[in-house]
Amino acid sequence: MSAGYIDEMHEAFHSDLVYRSEDIPLECSPKPREMEQTLHGVMKLNGLVIRSLEEIAGRGANAVTYRAGKKFGHEVAKYFQKREDVEGALHELSDLLRGQYSFEVWKPEDKETFIIEENGETFIYLVFHDCIVRQTLRRNGLEQGGPLCQTLFGYVVGAIEEITGRKAKLEIVHTGPNACLKKLILK
Amino acid sequence: MEIHVDKDACVGCGLCVKDCPMNVYELQNNVSVAVRPNNCMGCLSCHEICPAQALEHRGIYAARRHYIDIKVCEMLRKVV
Repeated sequence: MSAGYIDEMHEAFHSDLVYRSEDIPLECSPKPREMEQTLHGVMKLNGLVIRSLEEIAGRGANAVTYRAGKKFGHEVAKYFQKREDVEGALHELSDLLRGQYSFEVWKPEDKETFIIEENGETFIYLVFHDCIVRQTLRRNGLEQGGPLCQTLFGYVVGAIEEITGRKAKLEIVHTGPNACLKKLILK
Repeated sequence: MEIHVDKDACVGCGLCVKDCPMNVYELQNNVSVAVRPNNCMGCLSCHEICPAQALEHRGIYAARRHYIDIKVCEMLRKVV
């Protein structure tokens, strides 16, 4: 390796910036536009991890990712206000997920309320619009509804359980390129 | 939600009818018709599956697309 190259490399990582330990960064650095390669790298890596996990653990992969998501949901939501009403909890949840996921409560036109009672179960339909999981899967050409989707499931269930104190379950009804329909079952 | 089916383009394959979880479409005289547009939640699976690209949704929320590679798009713009 030539000395010139090493100097050049050192030069690239040198600045006159004074950085104090009490300095709190107030914005992302660098600008999001310059982060595109990083984002694609993370998406690619996540896709490969999930694909490998599925190859080795088979159906067990879903349980692992669901559990990981659920822990994350509990962890994040424990700092949020506790509420008993599901609508309020969903509102808290949308704040919690902002930037990564966006969703809305939804109902078919023949239903009168968003909280639906059918065949002895109470549920709410959620339509997920923006979703980093869907983007990652499509970036990698992977099928939707697999283990990576289970992380989001776990995350939502964990957060709802933490906020409301009620047990919940999330089921996929349909996955699409622009939105996914999910059923939040309340117990 | 407003769904428009291009009747001249539709080949009547029925894939949108089969794929839609909310039964928005029905085949009438070998052409797909959006009979329950208010039941559409905007997943756009029908767009992806339609071989004739005969569908158009109006008033839909388009999800963010992070997986589009800006560099690839820039190169494509030069070619197309």
